[in-house]
Amino acid sequence: MAQIPNLDNAALNLTALREQSQKELLSIIKSIRGKKCLVIDPKLAGTLSLILQTSVLKEYGTELRILSADPLQTECPKVVYLVRSQLNFMKFVANQIKNDESKGLQREYHLYFVPRRIVACEKILEEEKVHQKLTIGEYPLYLVPLDEDVLSLELDYSLQECLIEGDTSSVWHVAKAIHKLEFAFGVIPNIRAKGVASTKAAELLNHMQLEDPVSMDNMGIPEIDTVILLDREVDMVTPMCSQLTYEGLLDEMLEIHNGSVEVDASIMGAQQDGKKVKVPLNSSDKLYKEIRDLNLHVVVQVVRQKATSIQQDYAEVKSTNTQSVSELKDFVKRLHSLPEIARHVNLAQHLQSFAAKPAFHARVEIEQIILEAQTYETCYEYIEEIIQKQEPIETVLRLLVLFSLTNAGLPKKNFDYLRREILHSYGFEHMPLLYNLEKAGLVKRQESRTNWPVISRALQLIVDIKDPENPDDIAYIFAGYAPLSIRLVQHAVRSGWRSIEELLKLLPGPHMDLKRGVSTISSSELLPGSGSQQSTDRVGHRSLVLVVFIGGVTSAEIAALRFLSAQEGMGYDFLVATTKVITGNTLLRPIIASSKEGMI
Amino acid sequence: MSSSVSVAAEWDLLSDRFYRRITIYSPLPWSSPATTTASSSGGGSSGVSRLDLSTHIVAAAPFGGPIAAVRDDSKIVQLHSEPSRRRLLLFSSSGHPLASSPWTPHLPRLHSLAFSSSLNLLALLSDGSLLRFRLPDLNPITSSSPVPLLPPASGGVADAVFWGGGVAILTEDNRVVVTTDIEVDDPHPRELADPGVAEDEQVLCMAVVEPQLVMSGSPEVLLAVGDRVVAVDEDGVQVLGEALEIGPVQKMAVSPNGKLLAAFAHDGRLLVIPTDFSRIIFEYECDSALPPDQIAWCGLDSVLLYWSEVLLMVGPNGDPVQYNYDEPVMLIPECDGVRILTNSSMEFLHRVPDSTTLIFGIGSMSPAALLYDARDHYDKQSAKAYDNYQLISSSLPEAIEACIDAAGYEFDVSRQHTLLRAATYGLAFCSRFPHGRFQEMCKILRVLNAVRDPEIGMPLTVKQYRLLTATVLIGRLINANQHLLALRISEYLNLNPEVVIMHWACEKITASAAIPDVVLLEGLLGKLRLCKGISYAAVAAHADKSGRRKLAAMLVDHESQSSKQIPLLLSIDEQDKALQKSIESGDTDLVYLVLFHIWQKISVEKSAPLDFFGVINARPLARDLFIAYARHSKHEALKDFFLSTGRLQDAGFLLLKESRELERNPMASKGSPLHGPQVRLVEQAHRLFAETKEHLFESKSAEEHAKLLRVQHQLEVSTKQAIFVGSSVSDTIKTCIVMGNERAAVKVKSEFKVPDKRWYWLKSCALATVGNWDALETFSREKRPPGGYKPFVEACIDAGQKTEALKYIPKLTDPGERSEAYARLNMTEEAKKAASEANNGDELFGRLKSTLAQNTLIDTLRDRLSFQGTY
Repeated sequence: MAQIPNLDNAALNLTALREQSQKELLSIIKSIRGKKCLVIDPKLAGTLSLILQTSVLKEYGTELRILSADPLQTECPKVVYLVRSQLNFMKFVANQIKNDESKGLQREYHLYFVPRRIVACEKILEEEKVHQKLTIGEYPLYLVPLDEDVLSLELDYSLQECLIEGDTSSVWHVAKAIHKLEFAFGVIPNIRAKGVASTKAAELLNHMQLEDPVSMDNMGIPEIDTVILLDREVDMVTPMCSQLTYEGLLDEMLEIHNGSVEVDASIMGAQQDGKKVKVPLNSSDKLYKEIRDLNLHVVVQVVRQKATSIQQDYAEVKSTNTQSVSELKDFVKRLHSLPEIARHVNLAQHLQSFAAKPAFHARVEIEQIILEAQTYETCYEYIEEIIQKQEPIETVLRLLVLFSLTNAGLPKKNFDYLRREILHSYGFEHMPLLYNLEKAGLVKRQESRTNWPVISRALQLIVDIKDPENPDDIAYIFAGYAPLSIRLVQHAVRSGWRSIEELLKLLPGPHMDLKRGVSTISSSELLPGSGSQQSTDRVGHRSLVLVVFIGGVTSAEIAALRFLSAQEGMGYDFLVATTKVITGNTLLRPIIASSKEGMI
Repeated sequence: MSSSVSVAAEWDLLSDRFYRRITIYSPLPWSSPATTTASSSGGGSSGVSRLDLSTHIVAAAPFGGPIAAVRDDSKIVQLHSEPSRRRLLLFSSSGHPLASSPWTPHLPRLHSLAFSSSLNLLALLSDGSLLRFRLPDLNPITSSSPVPLLPPASGGVADAVFWGGGVAILTEDNRVVVTTDIEVDDPHPRELADPGVAEDEQVLCMAVVEPQLVMSGSPEVLLAVGDRVVAVDEDGVQVLGEALEIGPVQKMAVSPNGKLLAAFAHDGRLLVIPTDFSRIIFEYECDSALPPDQIAWCGLDSVLLYWSEVLLMVGPNGDPVQYNYDEPVMLIPECDGVRILTNSSMEFLHRVPDSTTLIFGIGSMSPAALLYDARDHYDKQSAKAYDNYQLISSSLPEAIEACIDAAGYEFDVSRQHTLLRAATYGLAFCSRFPHGRFQEMCKILRVLNAVRDPEIGMPLTVKQYRLLTATVLIGRLINANQHLLALRISEYLNLNPEVVIMHWACEKITASAAIPDVVLLEGLLGKLRLCKGISYAAVAAHADKSGRRKLAAMLVDHESQSSKQIPLLLSIDEQDKALQKSIESGDTDLVYLVLFHIWQKISVEKSAPLDFFGVINARPLARDLFIAYARHSKHEALKDFFLSTGRLQDAGFLLLKESRELERNPMASKGSPLHGPQVRLVEQAHRLFAETKEHLFESKSAEEHAKLLRVQHQLEVSTKQAIFVGSSVSDTIKTCIVMGNERAAVKVKSEFKVPDKRWYWLKSCALATVGNWDALETFSREKRPPGGYKPFVEACIDAGQKTEALKYIPKLTDPGERSEAYARLNMTEEAKKAASEANNGDELFGRLKSTLAQNTLIDTLRDRLSFQGTY
């Protein structure tokens, strides 16, 4: 199965979107004649594997290299850099060019910024005195389809830039990406946004429509009905919780990169040891599509049942000779699904080895206690203990952030004590990290009473799941906790922000409800609340809602959205766009690293 | 059909075709003294706009373009009849003066004038240099000094032929130089192959086949030398038509399609020859052996020869047509005819179009003629109209088409009208005829009539208009400052008026030096608003170039595209506004653009960076972006910024970063004296933190950090092992214990006030790491551990020491923890027993079951599936 996901079942024509990106890349490659060396930054190389097979590039006389601090090793007379516009990459490029020069190598250099040229980057090239030697262009790759219902901007640093650095570049990128979508699929008539970045992005989107308008006349009905923008900052609670869905656990334990996980071959049942294999994970795998959003223990049952039924058939086929040809055919067809079943049996087994550990249960339990805001002391002592045991710092911070958020901070004495324990256990180099987390409001001193219980009650975040196998609420995702972000989406699609206005004020950032491009006569005046009327008017028509998470989204939250749209009587399909698919760990890790490096 | 007869009466028959001469403008304003004074009241003395073709060097642009003239100082002029100073004059085709400017004295003699295809005026001087002027105001292009086209010492211009895009010059020493990029600032003349003219020979005349008509795409120059004609191009010289024995050619003209050549031979014969000289198509023997003054093609069917007072039109067969003129004449070839300019009139001579012949031809009974007649009857309410209709009903569409087509060729508005009315009469009976065709012609005629108006003076024919295109026509109108008409035509034809309004706005600014900014702005905005999405920045840029910086600032305010607005704001020194706007745009790249601009300016002007810091500190986005950038490459500036804006804690963190960079330096990390600077930086940071009230925690931590670095340094000295610096307090303690240095560990514990709870975790972990189980047991007995025996149990289980672990598990007070510990050792029974003691026993029990069961369950599944072994 290919790593490039099949997008035929997507609610939007995402295939066209991807083909456009392919075409743009190939035309860059083709525009530079002759043999050339394509140097890609390490992260982008992974992203491109979701766009096209890299072997295609080789057909155009292209050697591939990954950008690094080391000198470039190639015989090619032409070098094409394809890098995201990040300041740190510019030094690499400059060093490689200078290195070539010191060796007396004459080459032709091209630099393509992804997704666009940035003055700050070019400034560094100027300071390094290599700007003149480069022919500069752009490769406008904004949204990359990860799956038939998930688009990603693949911006790793969006959250820390917005929350800690005050750099809102990613907000501009989000607006630009949505605007680009609008060129293909029409102006989105309804915008709902919550959070500083999201409302800013909505404003920018409006501004872009003014500057560079998407014509509303000849597009027909816009394909996307509503866009809901949410800041990750609005709900930092959810990503801090351990994900319990199959996909969520895969991401937590093995980390999904560019739509696949890398595991030891032995885990997948192969004989050769020490070798790694890549396992693609997307909806093209029918079984995966069926089980990705289920809780791990349900997954085990489903897989088991499938295997057993095939086995029974097998036994029948062997024992009797009475089957008709068509029955046999049927059986052979089912046999074809065996590799898929085996693959997921192997992966589920591997996850079980983590998830069955008492420590994992204890952790999930303590998360539940924190979410329910029950006993402060138990939680506090648990966190103290894991610091003192020097568990991985990400693990500690996830709980600490969760604890601080639900309590509106920690009392000064506890706050200082835990911070000191962290510095003593993990080193004083984490001083900037604590300062940054405080600045971002993630771990802070208690200054007011917490309103978490109010929010939790009003939005029914804590739900008793009666039948985990056939859940009726998104709370099944976290074994009894309904993700705050998705509850907000639920309200937003049902009745807009108006119904929860007071509640929204308790969450960070402003909110916004916007109607656009209603150029047609006074239909809204004639039919108050025409929005709801419309969906009933067009029988069988499902509206498409684009949910944008600025700062990242977890697999579990995507699972919850899929669950929602599959509910009976729900006239919506969801398409998720995010700066990045994250887990608590991958969200905190760049903050930890950058703080340590002193880069934020 | 009486009316039709009179039309055809004016036609002249040449061969089997009719030609007609239409007077477009007469009299021309420059010929009658009365109009001259009236129209030139603004342009200076009345003599300025007087024009006599015989005493002037004149150029006229094709497509009804303007006329330029300079007095020919080689001609004798009656004293006082003209102003003594020569002037460069510009008229419309209708003779209206458009502009004039003094001709720079002391220039070499003017050889010829011409227009380029984008209507710049070109003046070739006898030394081979070129002056270029922009219309409509005749301002010199690039510089007022002429551009040399000839190599030095070529002897100057002997002859020259212009075409729309270039010029071919024959030098006095018989070389040919061609310039094809005559419009660019810096033209590149090329010398063609040597035509090989002998010393005693003379070039009689010259013609050029324009590059767009030659296969190779470069012009071909024809020279008549002696009794041969040579074709010269870049690659070589070709002698043509020796076999035809034409003899010396005195005058030549290339047909509009470049395929035919009209050559006037020394014996008075006019020959029409293909340009490859393969044969003689026809020849005509003129009365005069003197070469004509002018020779020109009229369409592709006839050739015009002009001697003084006589204009002769020669066709392939039959007698030529002769016209007499008692005043000088200038022939202006067009694609579909020739315009004839005299001192008093502008005429157009062309072949009568087929449709016109069908309708107005004498005795014509064509359906078109009958339809035309029918309309006449209809208007007179005569029943004959219907009779006519019945006669032609089967060929109605052709008849309608002919009427529409013929209307297009008419200059006379009333005749256009009657023809179109005739067409509508037919249309009423003919639904299958495309009505769009009729509407299109009406639209075209409206446009043509508008530009043919003497005030505008562009006598375009429908064919010329189609060739020129509406867009180019609009371009010519705005260049002639006819913005209103250009705008009306744009709107009428549904073209984007942006280019018109933009040009108007720029011209308005140039012309309104005396109008105050605010008034002018209002005037401009009123028009600019007409066009959605127009670039205010472009107009503002023009205002700035015209020295109206304030106006530019006001205009740029209206620009909606930030990416256009902000660079302009910077170029007009509106930095604060640029910064403000860039922040509002939300585009961080634009903010950076402004930041770098200001930053650069400061370093150039060597003014204090404090101003810059002040500016950005008031704007959070600009400030944060500056900080993010500076962290990468401008450390010192960043520190200055933090200190000068009172962000001492941030400066402190920057010092910590520097200290870590020292630590990473391999020279620094191995217990060398370089630890000194590292510690000093941390202490400096500590003092900065201490100076703020809010960062007590950081201050204390930095202090502790410095202390830890010293302690670690001492440990490295005393143990002679460089393994301490850079590790945490906890790790330092662990390392000490692992090394068996209990005393040092205890010392660190007390110096850093490590809580007992942590101490137990660290020590049990460290002892388990080295497998010192005895010491661990001794440690467990020292006193009752403050956090219970969990650290001991976990240390043993993690190390896989079941026996050791069992020593401590019973000491765990919480049955839940006990149960869990047993479970981890796979002691199911004990685990169950412990679970039953807990008060949340059921839940624990369930979890236990799933923990233990699922492993085995899925294992068996794996075994069962292995039969097909895909993995």
